[in-house]
Amino acid sequence: MELIPPVILYILVDFSIYLIVTLSLNLEVGYAGLPQFGRVLAVLTGALVAGAIPGRLLALMYGLPYGPEYAFYEYNYKVVDTLNTILEKNPLLSVTIFIFTLVLAMVLGAVIGYLTSKPAIRLREAYLGITLLAMGDVLMLITYYYTPIIGGTTGVSVVDPFRWTGGARFYVATFTLLGIALLTFLLIERLTKSPYGRVLRAMRDSELAITVYGRDIVKLRTYTLMVGAAIASLGGALYTFYTGSCIASTYTRVTWTFWPWAFMMLGGTGNNLGVMFGVLVFVIVKTLIVMYRGLLAPYVPFDPVWLEYTFVGMAIVLIAIFRPQGLIPEKPIFTIPRKKIEELIKA
Amino acid sequence: MIPPIAVAKAVAYADSLALMAAGITLIYMCTKTFNFAHASFVTWGFYIAFTLTSLYGGSPYYYLPVAFIFVGLLGVVVYVLVIGPLMRRGASPTTLMMSTLGVDLVLLSFIQMFTDYLTRVFKLYARKIVLEVYDFDVFGLPGVTFISLVVVVFIISALHIFLVRTKFGTAMRATIENPNLASVLGINPDVVYLTSWFLGGGLAGLAGAIASITITGDPTVGSRIVVSMFASSIVGGLYSIYGSVLGGLLIGLTEYLGIMVLAIQLGGWVAVYRPVIPLIALATTLLVYPKGLGGINWSRITVRFKSLVGGS
Repeated sequence: MELIPPVILYILVDFSIYLIVTLSLNLEVGYAGLPQFGRVLAVLTGALVAGAIPGRLLALMYGLPYGPEYAFYEYNYKVVDTLNTILEKNPLLSVTIFIFTLVLAMVLGAVIGYLTSKPAIRLREAYLGITLLAMGDVLMLITYYYTPIIGGTTGVSVVDPFRWTGGARFYVATFTLLGIALLTFLLIERLTKSPYGRVLRAMRDSELAITVYGRDIVKLRTYTLMVGAAIASLGGALYTFYTGSCIASTYTRVTWTFWPWAFMMLGGTGNNLGVMFGVLVFVIVKTLIVMYRGLLAPYVPFDPVWLEYTFVGMAIVLIAIFRPQGLIPEKPIFTIPRKKIEELIKA
Repeated sequence: MIPPIAVAKAVAYADSLALMAAGITLIYMCTKTFNFAHASFVTWGFYIAFTLTSLYGGSPYYYLPVAFIFVGLLGVVVYVLVIGPLMRRGASPTTLMMSTLGVDLVLLSFIQMFTDYLTRVFKLYARKIVLEVYDFDVFGLPGVTFISLVVVVFIISALHIFLVRTKFGTAMRATIENPNLASVLGINPDVVYLTSWFLGGGLAGLAGAIASITITGDPTVGSRIVVSMFASSIVGGLYSIYGSVLGGLLIGLTEYLGIMVLAIQLGGWVAVYRPVIPLIALATTLLVYPKGLGGINWSRITVRFKSLVGGS
């Protein structure tokens, strides 16, 4: 049974995950003007939650090892296997644990966002960028070598909340991801069109002006970093559930910080629809490179896998030089005309 | 107890870090660009030393000037093609930083391709490089320690003479202080920026070539230590080349020897967390004294110290 070719499913999954992460980046960079060079930090937080917590909770419920030994590879695959057979027969439990983990990932993501906001309040521009980047690197490093959380260098298997759907597992998982991604899109679109979104743009354009109007910049920045990190963390958790495994070395600054930046810059910084378009274009081109690099291999004296990096890097540079506003530029927001407001008040 | 050879290696590592930080600071002072491509610049220096030593023989030290000039020209190319056009359009510091990240990805992919090319065409195994075997011994210590110290002292003196004693150096300092005023006086800021990218890139290449003699390398060696480079530069204060050199020495020694002391005290498992040390230094500097080492008013401190000593 093959309703949809696997490559389309692959593109949809990549699109959904990167849409969530890039939208969160766009909220911080495009709207609030913060140099978020440590997106991977929040994504990794979500992955850690999904990798370490649902399996342990279930293990605790069913009397299996749930302490540090849960993450050791000799136990881990056995425990997760047992849990998966339990989940297979219990859709309700599967859905509950799935939703619970996502909520927890968002909460912990917000906490991480709050922690990063501490230096963010004092530092400016590039200094903040470097600090965020270094933080992301260090969390990746620690979780890669510290075994009790997600098994360190061996990684862990993750319980599969889609197992009960049987043969349709990949379809269900893909479309759940896509649904959540589109929901996130609507949410962020709403958020950025709200007064809060307008204040963010105003802060980006002139901090002085917005301070004069009585807004607290520290609060705005903290709040934005928390919301952004919560959404990025959601993306990380979903990705971990989809792949069914979790290892810290997947979460490098190239794949989870620079790529989202490239997607955002291509689509249009400060425009959610543009970001969606940028992610779609990039994901399709990336997939095509992966599919067809084999054809190129006999003609070049190197592994064509590196062309992916050349492509993303060139895209970043070329967009920055020739089309800094992106493919779909940010549009001014039209507020309601004064007459209409007066009518509304009268009514 | 830490063996003397470890101290010697730490000094060599710290020296190369000091040169990298000096390059980052020079480029930042002149063009307000946090150059992330420094990671790949350093790796290119590394691979030039490796390739030339493997293909033409001799000591890796012969190829230090080649690494300097090649990576310096790479810096010029990056400035002419990317940074120059962006600066003329008045791009924000974040955009400049992001574009150097793009450049870094491109250069990194070129290194990866070059490594594959070396393996396939010249049958060189280039994914784990150790050039330490080409080094010579001085009283049982690696020669790179002494050579790198000499290079750092030489570079600092040369930069000092260049910036303070020559006309172009004065023009350069004037441009750093106020580009508009300098251009009114007939200084072309473009030439100054170009020079800063040549010198900054050259220092990165030189540092990479020196590092190749003391640490094990692969195509990602630059991006692994890029956080240390930026930490050195920020600890140094980002507005003083001397400060950045001090920062590099400080970070390099603390990182190398600090983790060794911790490993002796707590056990070997701690060694993998080495990159946490520069992060702590970076965070402490930014939160406690963001001006960094270069921002400390040394003359005031000496005056105060003298009055204290005199008063007692």
